[in-house]
Amino acid sequence: MFLRSLRTAAAAASLAVLLMGSASAQTLEIATDASPSGLDPHLATAFATILINGNIYEGLTAIDTDLRTVPALATEWTVTDEGKTYTFKLRPNVAFHNGKVMTSADVAASVRRVVNPQTGSPLASRFVVIDTVETPDAGTVVLRLKEPAAPLLSQLASLAVLPAEPGVDLGRQTVGTGPFRLTQWVPDTFLMLEKHAAYWEAGLPKLGALKFNIVPDATARQVGLAGGTYHLIPVVEPAIAQTLQGRPGVQVQNTQDLAYTLIGINTTKPPFDNPAVREAINTAVDRSQIVQAVLFGRGEPGGPLSPGLKDWAVPTSEFPCYRPDAAKARQLLQGAGVTLPLKVTMNVIGSLPLAVESSQVVQAQMNQAGFEVTLNVQEQGRFIQDWRASNFEVFASLNGGGVDPDDYLYRTFRTGGSTNVFKYSDPQLDALLDRARSTADMGQRQALYRQAQQALACRGPIAHLTYSTLFAAHRQNVEGFTVMPTRSTRSLRSASLR
Amino acid sequence: MLRLILDRAVDLLVVLFGVSVVAFLMIRLIPGDAVQIMLGANAAVTEEAMAALRARLGLDQPMIVQYLSWIGGVLRGDLGTSIWTGKPVLEEILDRIGVTAELLVLSLGFAVILAVPAGSLMAYVRGGAADQIVRVITIAGVTMPGFWLGTLLIYGFYAWAPAWPAVGWVPIGQDPAGHFQRMLLPTLALGLPILASLSRIVRSAMLDALGQDYVRTARAKGVPERTVVLRHALRNALIPFVTAVGITAGYLFGGTIVVEQVFALPGLGRLVIGAIAERNYPLIQATILLVTTGFVVINFVVDLLYLVIDPRTRGGG
Amino acid sequence: MRLPRSPLLWIGLVLVLVQVGVAVAAPWIAPYDPLQQTILARMRPPGAPYWFGTDNFGRDVLSRVLHGYRSSLAVSAASVMGALLVGGSLGVIAAYYRGWTDRIVMRVMDVLFAFPIILLAIGIIAVLGPRTGTTAVAIGIVYVPIFARLLRGPALVLAESEFVQAAKVLGVSDVGIMLGHIVPNLASVILVQASLSLSTAILVEASLSFLGIGTQPPTPSLGLMLAESRAFLLISPWPSVFSGAAILLAAFGFNLLGDALRDTLDPRLRGRD
Repeated sequence: MFLRSLRTAAAAASLAVLLMGSASAQTLEIATDASPSGLDPHLATAFATILINGNIYEGLTAIDTDLRTVPALATEWTVTDEGKTYTFKLRPNVAFHNGKVMTSADVAASVRRVVNPQTGSPLASRFVVIDTVETPDAGTVVLRLKEPAAPLLSQLASLAVLPAEPGVDLGRQTVGTGPFRLTQWVPDTFLMLEKHAAYWEAGLPKLGALKFNIVPDATARQVGLAGGTYHLIPVVEPAIAQTLQGRPGVQVQNTQDLAYTLIGINTTKPPFDNPAVREAINTAVDRSQIVQAVLFGRGEPGGPLSPGLKDWAVPTSEFPCYRPDAAKARQLLQGAGVTLPLKVTMNVIGSLPLAVESSQVVQAQMNQAGFEVTLNVQEQGRFIQDWRASNFEVFASLNGGGVDPDDYLYRTFRTGGSTNVFKYSDPQLDALLDRARSTADMGQRQALYRQAQQALACRGPIAHLTYSTLFAAHRQNVEGFTVMPTRSTRSLRSASLR
Repeated sequence: MLRLILDRAVDLLVVLFGVSVVAFLMIRLIPGDAVQIMLGANAAVTEEAMAALRARLGLDQPMIVQYLSWIGGVLRGDLGTSIWTGKPVLEEILDRIGVTAELLVLSLGFAVILAVPAGSLMAYVRGGAADQIVRVITIAGVTMPGFWLGTLLIYGFYAWAPAWPAVGWVPIGQDPAGHFQRMLLPTLALGLPILASLSRIVRSAMLDALGQDYVRTARAKGVPERTVVLRHALRNALIPFVTAVGITAGYLFGGTIVVEQVFALPGLGRLVIGAIAERNYPLIQATILLVTTGFVVINFVVDLLYLVIDPRTRGGG
Repeated sequence: MRLPRSPLLWIGLVLVLVQVGVAVAAPWIAPYDPLQQTILARMRPPGAPYWFGTDNFGRDVLSRVLHGYRSSLAVSAASVMGALLVGGSLGVIAAYYRGWTDRIVMRVMDVLFAFPIILLAIGIIAVLGPRTGTTAVAIGIVYVPIFARLLRGPALVLAESEFVQAAKVLGVSDVGIMLGHIVPNLASVILVQASLSLSTAILVEASLSFLGIGTQPPTPSLGLMLAESRAFLLISPWPSVFSGAAILLAAFGFNLLGDALRDTLDPRLRGRD
């Protein structure tokens, strides 16, 4: 009995190998909107780059479709010394795309490169807590922390492991351990990723190649998929998803997105330094209308954390200002001593349709509630520059979210946080965030983040608007692709074409 | 005559110099710090890192120094290095110019080949109701925004021939049939308005020619109408037509920017739009310089041809 | 002047007048505020009370088209007027003084003329920032060399004419001659070219909006409406259909008028498209 099932398994395996042999020549045609501006995984963190790099690079850990942290380049780990020492066992026989075998020295060099201020990595703030990196042997890495850091494991998924000496210009070429390797990049046209033959997981990847076609026009992407020119659109706008749903040969998937639309408020510009004025903005906004108008009903209002983070997010029903009330917003403004209407200029990032459309609904809603909003739709470069320099009154944009609350809340709201462009400073909140960061106990962390969310929801520097449903669309013959809240396309490693 | 040609050549150089200055300044006046954008929005980038990058790109030099070193390179055939890919700009442009050139040639060819018979026919039936109707149709063709025509073509083909590869691009060597299938709609989107405007030019040129003395003489002599139209009128009507084609070729580049965007074609238009968004100075400057130089030179040649063909134009400076 | 027979001239004239009338009267004849969002009534097909349907924000498409005429025609008119004033003056001045003035002015015009229209407009807008006013300035600058070149030719002939020479002898000032004797004789050229330019200006505005750098939301311009509604074409075609038709009709009206005017006013101008 045992032997027979073993034989069946072996037969299945050899059959699988045969099938794979036929599939290995296949190229998955992917249509995406934006060209990555650079490919260094430690420097470029835009969606366009992550979409590509997710198939090329890997971290010690990975995030699965249920947002759980799972082993990747590390097979196991132990946490000792009251949460201050992490010991990772590395997966043996992992080969880089240049043929070299990965060792602990490569991992250590990658960590050091990210935290080195000279690298200028936006990921650095996640890992500054690391004090030293030790490599007792080629298959072991020990991270010693300055203080306990609960989110470290999930964040390590974002730290791509590179060879200690990459030997290539990482902005334009790649050398990772992932299932695919970059073989050709024609800017604004396509990126060709071919199968990494020596990938550590046997039998993967199933596809021979991924071709990321850069197709800027949404109509062209949509028709290209419906007509069969493309196999997959990893991120589909809600309106287009609606159009594509039910087309013959097309399948639409969805999940809860971690990215969210927001109104950012500069707390150094009067009267927005007054929490009551910020509460007035929150009260003026009717989030469910935005869901209807912009997201075609496919999404939900959200607070400081995505409803997708089920373990952490406080339900929005607990935030009093989330009941839209124009009259009350007006009262709040008057109570703050503001003469009505309050003139506001809202910078809008022009390259993101979700932000542009949301800002128009918000403008109409705020104008009903004592504001007089002028939209200033900006070209991306200009928007980013004003954003960095805190040169705005309020802005409308779209942000990507992380899987651990610390990642987003700390850098955004902590006094002096790396993306706290609002110049927000609240000592009580700082204390909460510091404590939550160094607490390992899940229950305690949940309680602390609950308080933080309640402090931020109505009177913080961001009016969080909506978390959309994230759509992906593909031809029905694409198997094994799963759309993920993090927008990661990691599942492509096990995808195939029928 | 020689003096005139020399004069024109000096003018050409002056214009090219002006174009290079405008191309150089335009991109530097765009607000938004290139270095900032290159290093990314989230980066906790230090002032030192920004200064280092600025120095590497030569952006810390005075404008005049930057211009002189750039134009010096251009004259030596070095258009600079693309900021993002590190490849020579010339190489990047050569990679992309084929697509745009092919699109221009196809759509212009399509328009030119059809414009002559269409325009002649329009001139021939002049005055009747048919003339008015055709005229309305051609005006409507000229006044159709390119991106709208492109969108309608995409949807139209999707409705009638869903399997037709309407968007994207494949190299001709890889899949010749697929290549031209994908070029069909962009060619139509770009070529139809040109066809409309060129055929109107042929029509009026033909009418002018048909009214000339030698045509009337030929008719009076009993030369068959077909021969009158084809031999005598058409040949003379071609002069303004050729001029119009020369100018149109330059204008078409603007159209390709939009059409390449709609149909996801990897041409120069996409290159320059992307380069502006990324503040890729060397690439933008070089592309603009190249396109405008091409336009200026084409029109210079057309001017010279005019001098040779038509002595009347020799008067005006 | 006898009434021209050409029916096309009359059709063009009526089209233009009706649309200009609509643009001017938009605030009074539009049934709704073009910015007012009624989210619950979004993407309605045409029918009472929204005769052209509603868009994805539940805004009344009819009101937006009417106001769209207003902003699109305002941008086109402002740019063509500006280009006519600047470019036309330069062309006449260059023709009148000839010599170095002519040469310098016309070389500067050649430089501007060498840039493809859309590319030059993109550059100008990138420098000035995308706003409605900027779009008009950008399109205007693009048209300056066209008017300068166009008027210089006939102005050269006029400057040599007997009546201008006579005026010079009589001691009329240069400005007086240019304004009193040359410009009035250029009226038909100006009229024809202005009408044709208005037609293309509407299209350029639409293309810039498509590229995301023209008129900015939520201002209802015809080009922006068309660009925005393209994404919804299959589930809600009406905003695209009506804004597309409006652009076509506006550009068509001006072009037809210019074309017919050219035939009527000056048969010699035919063929210079």
